[in-house]
Amino acid sequence: MSKTPNTFIADVRQGPNDTCLIDLTGYLDAHTASDLEQVIKAAFDGGCRRFVVNFADLDYISSAGLGVFMVFIEDVKRDSGDIKMAAMKDKVFTVFDLLGFQVLFDIFNTVDEAVIAFPDAQ
Amino acid sequence: MTPFSNHSERLQIVASTKSLQSVREFIASVVSGHGFTDFEENGIVLAVDEACANLITHAFQHDPSQVIEIVVAIDHKQIQVEISDSARPFDPKSVAQPNMDDYLRERRVGGLGISLMRRVMDDIRYVPASPGQPRNTLFLTKRRTA
Repeated sequence: MSKTPNTFIADVRQGPNDTCLIDLTGYLDAHTASDLEQVIKAAFDGGCRRFVVNFADLDYISSAGLGVFMVFIEDVKRDSGDIKMAAMKDKVFTVFDLLGFQVLFDIFNTVDEAVIAFPDAQ
Repeated sequence: MTPFSNHSERLQIVASTKSLQSVREFIASVVSGHGFTDFEENGIVLAVDEACANLITHAFQHDPSQVIEIVVAIDHKQIQVEISDSARPFDPKSVAQPNMDDYLRERRVGGLGISLMRRVMDDIRYVPASPGQPRNTLFLTKRRTA
């Protein structure tokens, strides 16, 4: 059995086309969801409205993680922005799929596809 | 160990979200090798995580002096997970009202967790504490498909 700590990291970096790229690593659950919420809130308060979330290194998500995106999606869309998802492992995508979240969020195979799905920045 | 041998294991955790990783590792280790698909294993782990997270967050309000007990029983027909606690049967009206944004978020997240549990498990049954049974117990059941 793994003895690794319940790690979760969310890093924000500037992406092309006026996007904020959020790289997720590890396990996103009811313990770590508040870390992600703080990261997205700081980016939102800093003016970001075009979010691309890179799930490539995320190994687990529960409803607490999904709930974080729901906190922000309405406010982001109100300002003509979006939160687009990319590069999910199958078992993470399954959780989105079980709840029909593709209706709320665009999910892409790669980060590049998510970035160019936004209209060209002015 | 054959996939269809009877098997039962028990874990006690304190009511802290820090415990969720231990819960997931425990469930994964017990279920593994008993003939369930990866999809089924991941779903069972998720359902138990969601149930414990709800208890920790709502019923126990993150009180680490409280204990949650998890018993997993596997046989030739199914896996059953019993999650028992000594909290008062959960009454949402007893929770202090946070600001509206927080309140909406709490409701949504709680609802999502229960929705996930229903989708990945075959049966969910809640038995509140009674004079003959001092602990509330949630039974999560997944039947074998193979």
